[in-house]
Amino acid sequence: MEELFEQLAYCIEYGKINKPSPFPPDMKDKDGADEITQQLLNEGISADDILQKALIVGMEKVGVKFRENKVFVPQVLMSAKAMDAAMAHLKPHFANSPGSQKGTFIIGTVEGDLHDIGKNLVAMMVEGNGYEVIDLGTDVKAEKFIEAAEQYPGAVIGLSALLTTTMNNMEEITKAIKSHNRNIAICIGGAPVNQDFCDKIGADSYNPDPQGVVEFLNKTVE
Amino acid sequence: MVLDGKQPPYVPWDCKFTIEALDKMKAHYGDDVDVEELVDNHFIKLGASSGFKINIGNDRKKDIFGVIWDMTHEKDIGNVEGLVLPEPTLDGYEFPDPNNPMLYDGMEEKIAANKDKFILYSIGFSLFERYWTLRGMENAFLDFMMYPDFVKDLMRKIADFNIAVIKNVCERYPEVDGIYFGDDWGAQKKLMMGKDVWIEFIYPELKRMYANTKAHGKYQLIHSCGDIEEIIPELIEAGVNCINPFQPEVLDVDDLLNTYRGKVAFHGGLSTQKTLPYGTVEDVVAETKHLLEMGKDGGYIFCPSHATEGDTPIENIVAFIDLIKAQKC
Repeated sequence: MEELFEQLAYCIEYGKINKPSPFPPDMKDKDGADEITQQLLNEGISADDILQKALIVGMEKVGVKFRENKVFVPQVLMSAKAMDAAMAHLKPHFANSPGSQKGTFIIGTVEGDLHDIGKNLVAMMVEGNGYEVIDLGTDVKAEKFIEAAEQYPGAVIGLSALLTTTMNNMEEITKAIKSHNRNIAICIGGAPVNQDFCDKIGADSYNPDPQGVVEFLNKTVE
Repeated sequence: MVLDGKQPPYVPWDCKFTIEALDKMKAHYGDDVDVEELVDNHFIKLGASSGFKINIGNDRKKDIFGVIWDMTHEKDIGNVEGLVLPEPTLDGYEFPDPNNPMLYDGMEEKIAANKDKFILYSIGFSLFERYWTLRGMENAFLDFMMYPDFVKDLMRKIADFNIAVIKNVCERYPEVDGIYFGDDWGAQKKLMMGKDVWIEFIYPELKRMYANTKAHGKYQLIHSCGDIEEIIPELIEAGVNCINPFQPEVLDVDDLLNTYRGKVAFHGGLSTQKTLPYGTVEDVVAETKHLLEMGKDGGYIFCPSHATEGDTPIENIVAFIDLIKAQKC
């Protein structure tokens, strides 16, 4: 069984989606995340064990490699696709046993900002690390974040912006969320954002890479 | 002079402004201000920095590649709506005609009116960006891994189109001094796709396009946002004369200018992520003076490291315009 967990973690790390997938070339015609996840379930392994012992292990490696500039957006997206293939098998099991994921993360780009590559990378990485992700998409107003936070008590909110022109909306949205409920944790990110800005607007965490968000969540979510 | 690695009498400049920034300038200088005349840029750019588009109503534009642009939020370039190539195949897709008169519209008049300027023809979205506008951003990144042959095929056809345009421009308008290629590859740290992918898929077609420009005896200037430091040697080897926008938040502008002076020039440098929107007039003056001082020895053309955005206080815009123009006094 350990061997299958390792194989599945390897598929996530290197983005092997399923057997027909041509990537990576050195895994041609080998089982991918899709087949191995199904095999583990068939052998009676719980969805939770598969998530914890294989998927998170693989995704964490991707996150660290991305932070260290050893892999880039294409490889991370391939890992996310492999993760999706595995999660498609696991999600029905999670739906039947709520609470089996680590927690909930609500994410969106702030009002006025449509640039979503960074937001999507963070969402994928957080989901791959065992959290339920509520992706509100792009150009999201404060009210929508608050509404989602009401619906998912205890969730952490992630705000993303690429532009200095929309970064200011991050401040307004953070203030609106905090004045609604100051216990909601907010993390921010995006090209122009930094720790000073995070301190200034009263957000709880700034991270320059997705793995930083995962580490913040692991510390924050009980 | 600067592009030839020589020392100029003063630092040349070419500054761009977004529609929102232009509105602020009109409010300050008066509605009838001619910003081109006011700023007195050294370049005149013909062609199109973000593609040739026609209005199709409902705040939408369509470019000659068939891509629909939603202009509702981002009014300068727009945001891609839908996918022209939802699958990794060119079956049924027809490339635009490089002889379309739209690509050369009004060039003779503009050249005649700007004979004292350095005349550039812009080919915006020149390779990777053209690719992703057709396939979608996420697909574009996945295609590198999943469909490498298709990527190479489409990149080659995009480059072929550009090479045909370069030929037309150079043969029809000998007054054009150079070609200005725009294609974003950089992230805040390193290249979005990584250097290995860039070398395998993008660089071969860049070399082909740049070799054509050189064969016509023209300069070539390129724009790529982000941290592209690791590929500067490759760009120089491919014959690039000038690199924009030289973002100070992601590149060490002092170090790069000193390292590459005489090999390639840099165009940009004034912080649009920090100093212009958030700095004081004193900050803008200090940074502009520093850049002009560094540029005295050559290898540098001044401008903000992106089209100046609408969140820049007008006082900061006026400050750098006054300083660059004062050089000529």
